[in-house]
Amino acid sequence: MTLAALTKPWAATSYGFLDASAKRELRRKMLKAIAVPGCQMPYASREVPMARGWGTGGLQVTLTLVNPQSTIKVIDQGADDGVNAASIRRFISRVSGAAETWDTLDASIVQSRHRVPEETMREDQILVLQVPNPEPLRGVEPNMSIARQMHADADYGRLWLTLYEQLVRKGRIMQGAAYPSLVNGRHVMTPSPIPRWDVPKLNMARHLTFLSAGREKRLHAVPPFTRVEPLVFSDRPYRVEDHADLVCRRSGIAGYFMNEIPQDSGGSVFEVSDSNLGIKAIRRAEGEAVEIGATWYENGEYSA
Amino acid sequence: MAYVATRGGEKAIEQAERLFRQDLGTIDAARVEAIRQSMPYLVDRVMGEASLYDEDMAALALAQTGGELSEAVLVLRAWRTTQPRLAVAAPLLQEDLLTVRRISAAFKDIPGGQILGPTLDYSHRVLATDVLEGKPYNPPSVDPAATAAPMRQPSLADWQRQQGLVAPANDSTVAPDDIPDLTREPLLFPASRAHRLQSLARAETGGVLALGYAAMRGYGNAHPTVNELRLAEAEVMVRHPSGTEFSAGRVRVCQAEVTSKEKGGFLELGFAASFGWNEVKVIAAATLDLNSAEAPVGSPVHEEFYLSHTESVEASGFCIHFKLPHYVTFQSVLDAMRDAKAKAAAAKANQDVAVERQTEPAE
Repeated sequence: MTLAALTKPWAATSYGFLDASAKRELRRKMLKAIAVPGCQMPYASREVPMARGWGTGGLQVTLTLVNPQSTIKVIDQGADDGVNAASIRRFISRVSGAAETWDTLDASIVQSRHRVPEETMREDQILVLQVPNPEPLRGVEPNMSIARQMHADADYGRLWLTLYEQLVRKGRIMQGAAYPSLVNGRHVMTPSPIPRWDVPKLNMARHLTFLSAGREKRLHAVPPFTRVEPLVFSDRPYRVEDHADLVCRRSGIAGYFMNEIPQDSGGSVFEVSDSNLGIKAIRRAEGEAVEIGATWYENGEYSA
Repeated sequence: MAYVATRGGEKAIEQAERLFRQDLGTIDAARVEAIRQSMPYLVDRVMGEASLYDEDMAALALAQTGGELSEAVLVLRAWRTTQPRLAVAAPLLQEDLLTVRRISAAFKDIPGGQILGPTLDYSHRVLATDVLEGKPYNPPSVDPAATAAPMRQPSLADWQRQQGLVAPANDSTVAPDDIPDLTREPLLFPASRAHRLQSLARAETGGVLALGYAAMRGYGNAHPTVNELRLAEAEVMVRHPSGTEFSAGRVRVCQAEVTSKEKGGFLELGFAASFGWNEVKVIAAATLDLNSAEAPVGSPVHEEFYLSHTESVEASGFCIHFKLPHYVTFQSVLDAMRDAKAKAAAAKANQDVAVERQTEPAE
């Protein structure tokens, strides 16, 4: 037995970029996060070759999950070819050998910034959301030590109060994306800044969702079949964005979350935000045999 | 495929990166060496913020980022974090440092003497425009002292301890491998002393200066007096698995101790140290350390505030991330705003609606 036989050939970085000690720590924290749904787990959050705030939290989780058999989809604001999504997908594929895809149905891991795909995700898929601020209490308590104590006490009164104040002042809850939601009846989480449209997709979902904030060094999870309930008053039901009746000007499909494109002439047109769903619809309309999966929303109504 | 053809982001980002790199031109060993030789204080700053002591790599990082400091620190950190932690070096003691500069503002003279060493402190800051006129600047040579100052200098705080001015130091009982390591663990609050000093050691110089300056100007309660400022080289002593202790090399280090007033019968000390020679950073950092104990939560001199906001990689990354598209979240805000506006307009037009809106939530 020689020393050389016991070692591996030198490589500039480990498989999947992160070294074993970083992955071990992440796996422990990811398992903890699954065990206590919605509870933020601090992790070391190593530097990765991308700037903080550009998906480094999601990237670390994905790099820990990925293997050569994985198929990776990365979206930014719903689009696969957004500049940063393209950059992240290329990096993951380069360091892991995983296949790349734009199709939600083909992906084993979907890393996303600010959207949940419109096609219903399955048990064998994992959604990794990039999170800028994991702390739903930040707006009412910027000090994170105090906020942690508030989570421990399930002390969410001030969060309810801000929602109530919005109702009083504006006649409706003004929270846009990142709508605070109670997970498994215990921890309030901020579901990254996904639009309100996407929050119901996490409730009792078949897939596992990780939400990871690299800069803030926290991750949390929504395991499959876990309750995710937006904070609402019993007489003021939760309202998603009024996109149910909007029609995509390119693909012609309707009833999904849309991007608004302002027009020179005044007014706006709309394009479906889940860009690959739009592409598939166009290809199908052009006669290609393209499979479009079941979607969480049907005719603009949440139906799962 | 009309949908795809109108976008083409992947090609654009590749070309944008090429444009940046093309402007910088060929990066070769000579350029890296020139940066290392001519910009030692810049290299020191980058090594400190990257928490990686390697002059060649720091110079390379500067070369390949064109001197964009936050990018240079990020590439070094991203490389550093993939490297194994082989050993924990022996603690540095002040009296063992090979000291080149050591001053105290607290006393006119101190045991061991004030040693100015290399500094611009007393220079006139005049731009050497002659150089641009074709006359190179050749620095006058230094006249050696009659007797060289000793390489090793005692710690002023030790003398103060003997005089009963500073609280006795407790020997650490923590095993080297158990010292908390900020590069492998999250920073939690209240932070351990090790984490606080590590975080300050690799904090962004400008950020530490801004918040340290805020503390000095009056947003802190302790006005610093520089008890001891030291620039030195240190032997990195590690133990080989066979038991032999040896120096793995020398690193430049700097440290500052600042003091303010009496507390519990002793002078309070604030401390900071960093890789490289970066005086303004360690003085500002030591001032923040000094002010931490009594800082109100949420003030700029509170530990959670200044450590969170002087982290170079996080602060710069978050700042530049606002260049990313945010149209989904923005759309979500627009939706709520339009609906609220429509509601308000309808309420004005229709008294019934207004009455309902006023009474319901208040009940």
